[in-house]
Amino acid sequence: MKRIEEQTHYEILEVSPDADLKEIQRAYDHARETFHADSLAIYSLFSEEEMRKIQAAIEEAYRVLMDEALRKSYNQSHSHLIERSSREKQAEKSVKSSEIKSSLSFTDLSIEVGEITYRGRSLKQIRERLGIDLKAISAETKINIKTLELIEEEDLEHLPAMVYLKGFLKAYARALNLDAQKLIDGYFQLFKEKGKK
Amino acid sequence: MTRDHHQRVIWTIGGGKGGSGKSFITTNIGICLSKLGARVILIDADLGGANLHTFLGILPPGPSLSDFIKKRVSHLKDVLIHTGVPNLQLLTGAQDLLNAADAKSAQKRKLLRSIKSLESDYILVDLGGGNALSVLDFFLMSDGGILVVTPEPTSIENTYRFLKSAFYRRLRQAVSSFSAKSLIDEAMDRKNEAGIRTPYELLREVRRINEEDALKMVEEAATFHPNLILNQVRSKKDIEIGFSIRSACQKYFGIQLHYLGYIVYDQDVGNSIRKRRPLVLENYRSKAAQCVSEIASRLANSHRMPSGN
Repeated sequence: MKRIEEQTHYEILEVSPDADLKEIQRAYDHARETFHADSLAIYSLFSEEEMRKIQAAIEEAYRVLMDEALRKSYNQSHSHLIERSSREKQAEKSVKSSEIKSSLSFTDLSIEVGEITYRGRSLKQIRERLGIDLKAISAETKINIKTLELIEEEDLEHLPAMVYLKGFLKAYARALNLDAQKLIDGYFQLFKEKGKK
Repeated sequence: MTRDHHQRVIWTIGGGKGGSGKSFITTNIGICLSKLGARVILIDADLGGANLHTFLGILPPGPSLSDFIKKRVSHLKDVLIHTGVPNLQLLTGAQDLLNAADAKSAQKRKLLRSIKSLESDYILVDLGGGNALSVLDFFLMSDGGILVVTPEPTSIENTYRFLKSAFYRRLRQAVSSFSAKSLIDEAMDRKNEAGIRTPYELLREVRRINEEDALKMVEEAATFHPNLILNQVRSKKDIEIGFSIRSACQKYFGIQLHYLGYIVYDQDVGNSIRKRRPLVLENYRSKAAQCVSEIASRLANSHRMPSGN
């Protein structure tokens, strides 16, 4: 039971102190969606003022934890707090990941377009923020670099049709630990917008 | 499975509002557990309308809990009804006791003890959507409370209201000083004069008058792990609401909610209820039935884990 002001950046984003950048990005996306003004999950629970406080805390946590130097100095100045919560969080985390896996395992549901979708450019931004080289993505996904570049540039003319592209998008999103569906949705929108022109 | 050594596990299903699917879920999870070979008893304690028998497709029951309370029968097991499903029995009439304004907590504890002494592996109690103190007590006294929510603002609002009542009730039971208890009572009223709006503000006020009780509250929050089932899910985005509710509870109450799983919206559910045939028996392959059975197996596994409720 800790007030927002008392929670560490790790507690704000519900990640363990040794979370890597991918995990932090994912946690940040989740937190932003949860504590969004239109989010159903917070309905009737928080006042506007509390929401502003939480949102600011989420942004600040993300800003610090995504920056290597800032994170390092934060860890040093808050070591007493982080040490203590580290062990508790670790137990939670293992439960959490197995939970997500098993509860999302078998249903193949129709998709509503969410608040946040990714496109090529945002993908590039996230990748660069994570400090991952395109070569590494290529090695992991077995997609050639040229295609990955086209995806990031949103070069629809030179990209294969959506049917083929989908598999690439999925693999790329997974390599960054992002929700693949959100990237596919984002690309669907791109194709739609382009079709209108 | 060594039946003689492990204890009966009691799960209470409550919160939310009428129509969120608690009775449907209680019935079908019960059947899934019985199919796994466990002995299961369903207890109908829905104040709003006890009709688990209809979900099971059996006639309005004859013997009920009140026969036991009024001492017309001497053993609680004598008022259990066979459901036609192997290993599955039904106990009705618990709502009468929960409803009674004069039901003392000693009486409720005694009932809980009798229930716990029943020969069974799992006991599932359908509490309905009520918010009465005795319902909260029952929710808190079980091994695990399960909240059923649908992804709609009305359902979510009612669930938070129930959760807040249950949480404050639990805190009230934990603190020992009279002043802390009355402060918690006051905080239950949304427009209280002390201006306490959140659990943290309550904690701050209690800390001011009694440090020891404040520590107890922190302990209670750390060990309170209600479970959540999201029902009538229509999209992946809906599924994620469960995780968001968990995060919201962590931020607001400082408690760790356990997201047990979700059940997809499925026409087959309505059809099975109209036919008065439980879905997992009528149409095991339907999506909703698969979701229910996954949740049931998770429940069956959870109490074996040392960290389970």
